[in-house]
Amino acid sequence: MAAPVSSVGKPSAERSPFNNTSFQKKTRSKLISIPGTRPSVQNGQLLVSTGVTSLDYLLGGGLAVGTVLLIEEDRYDSYSRMILKYFLAEGVVCRHELYVAAAQDNPDDILQELPAPILDDVAMHKPAEQPRLSCEPPDGLDAMKIAWRYQNLPKVQTALASSSRFGHYYDVSKTMEPEIRQAAKCHRFYLPEHPTQSSPPHSTMLESYSALLKSLQEVINREGFDVAAPMSNSRNILRIGLHSLGSALWGDDLCCHDNPKNGRALTTFLYGLRALLRSSLSVAVVTLPSHLIQDRALMGSITRLCDNAIALESFKGSERETNPLYKDYHGLIHVRQVPHLNCLASKLPDHKDLAFKLKRKQFSIERLHLPPDLSDTVSRVSRGELAGATTVASACGSGSSGNKHLDF
Amino acid sequence: MLPELLQGVDTGGLLVIQDSASYSGRHLLQSFINAALNREEAVHVLGFEVSEEELKDGLRGSPVQRLHFHNAYTDPLGWTDHPAFTVHQFCLGELTRLVKQTSHSKPATLVIDSLSWILRHVSTPDVCRTLQQLRKGGAVRSIIGLLHADMHQRGTVGSVCHSATSVITVEPAMRGDEAVAKITKRSKSGKVIQDEEIFRIKDDLTVVVQSKFSKGAKKTDSEEQETDPTANLTFNLRLSDTEREAKQKLALPFVFSKEKKTALLHSGPGSGRIHYEPDANDDYDQEDPDDDLDV
Repeated sequence: MAAPVSSVGKPSAERSPFNNTSFQKKTRSKLISIPGTRPSVQNGQLLVSTGVTSLDYLLGGGLAVGTVLLIEEDRYDSYSRMILKYFLAEGVVCRHELYVAAAQDNPDDILQELPAPILDDVAMHKPAEQPRLSCEPPDGLDAMKIAWRYQNLPKVQTALASSSRFGHYYDVSKTMEPEIRQAAKCHRFYLPEHPTQSSPPHSTMLESYSALLKSLQEVINREGFDVAAPMSNSRNILRIGLHSLGSALWGDDLCCHDNPKNGRALTTFLYGLRALLRSSLSVAVVTLPSHLIQDRALMGSITRLCDNAIALESFKGSERETNPLYKDYHGLIHVRQVPHLNCLASKLPDHKDLAFKLKRKQFSIERLHLPPDLSDTVSRVSRGELAGATTVASACGSGSSGNKHLDF
Repeated sequence: MLPELLQGVDTGGLLVIQDSASYSGRHLLQSFINAALNREEAVHVLGFEVSEEELKDGLRGSPVQRLHFHNAYTDPLGWTDHPAFTVHQFCLGELTRLVKQTSHSKPATLVIDSLSWILRHVSTPDVCRTLQQLRKGGAVRSIIGLLHADMHQRGTVGSVCHSATSVITVEPAMRGDEAVAKITKRSKSGKVIQDEEIFRIKDDLTVVVQSKFSKGAKKTDSEEQETDPTANLTFNLRLSDTEREAKQKLALPFVFSKEKKTALLHSGPGSGRIHYEPDANDDYDQEDPDDDLDV
């Protein structure tokens, strides 16, 4: 059981300096209130937003704390990387802690490419900004030509704390400003920086995976994300992003051979990761280049070891690119698994054909439907044809001209 | 797009030429070597599959002073006592040392002929890791490798190409001396460009592109198309420059001077008082509007 923890003596959410009201909701529930989370309406689990609101909806409201989301990468790793960046950016905005691990690119590069949030109340993260008082010299009077009477009112007026909102929108064309990013604490794991020690011969896990798991465990214990740790007033969530696990750069030959030698290394790692997550306040997103894995049975067991699993299939480079049905979208999204936490079965999404489109301000996932058939063969009787039909006087229409369609 | 790739692979890039038994990619590889030599770059070739004479024979007419051939053709597995270069020397330390031996001002281009040979004897994760380390280290500017796609499993080819920045797959075309090149190029920003061209290699190892079928460059982050609402109307909604100036100059109502604005904004506590003395007109009697009743 991951998240629900009883809290005696109601901890208050971190008071943001811009919380203008002194009103605080009395939480009688047993869930700890952490900014950026909310309880699920289905089963009461503590949920965290993935950063993409349509993906949250697909996964049943959000990612439950203590679970793993597996994203099967598309061919050129463009959209899966984008979702990972959304996930980390959401963590920065909600002021969670981040942990990024990668073998190919430096985690700092990934962190620098995070998309910028589109909200005016996120600007509240800059603590130095005070509401403009009327004693300040009216420099900016020229700024407002018509509404100048509102000049001196404070710029932002929101009653609640900024991070109480669940799910934010991001502008992909801009990167997040360094001040906002540096406000969040990030832990990094870059595989080439860790010297590989030889693993004991009886272990089924590779050195890279065991080093990663050890590092994760150390961070969780040190920063106090462990559920068993002594209760302090402020708890936070650790967001873990693991990029391209299982690729050859992690030392795994899962993607290289049809019968990999250490085929169980990744599955052992995922088992250990899930055990670690269940006993701590963290969420993990793992991307995997599944198009390189030839063994489908192994892929199935990897999917089953993660709680949520989605697969992205981009149209780029495939023959579907020119299909007129798909012209509005960038790819298809397949939901392989939804979690069933503390219940027997879970609610699968109703629609199985889902397509995604990456727009500048939104990553939208929509149901794929057939467009209306506007071609010429749709029967529409024109005047000329009608006139021609009246001359053909046969009652049953057997003598009618071949190319006139009867429209009922 | 083939000519642009021939101009130079980006720093830190890995170019993989995939060929098959039906069309050999070695001519294209020689074109790349030729182009690099003509650009006055130092080229180091790890030759596993062809001997030095054969390679230099094919590169007739190019400045070969800057070409350094490491002979892995005679004894790649180290069976004799003094092998020149073995396949087990394919690791970061050895290769850096080899490249730095012939020190030049500019970092060198490393050409591997072929990657398939190395993949048969060294495990794929190690090869990928070495290539990645070479790219990140400073000794080598770019790496060009030849890969025989039909010699390996799909996963192996996929793994090597997954970390490559550009992949060129060559296949035979209709005519004998022409070939089709399918190019996939990944830029640092995440954009993926794909192209398909028919090319021919002339005797002096220059590449002539006959025709292109381009699949079109698509951006991975596409912007929303904003339709211009002022287009396609029967009346004119746009402003010319003079009209815009006149609009700016227009004095709006309630636009006060700066002093009046500050006075109004920073009004003191008592400035809004109204002083009123009732006068005779305020004695308005409802029942006697004309005030002429004499009661």
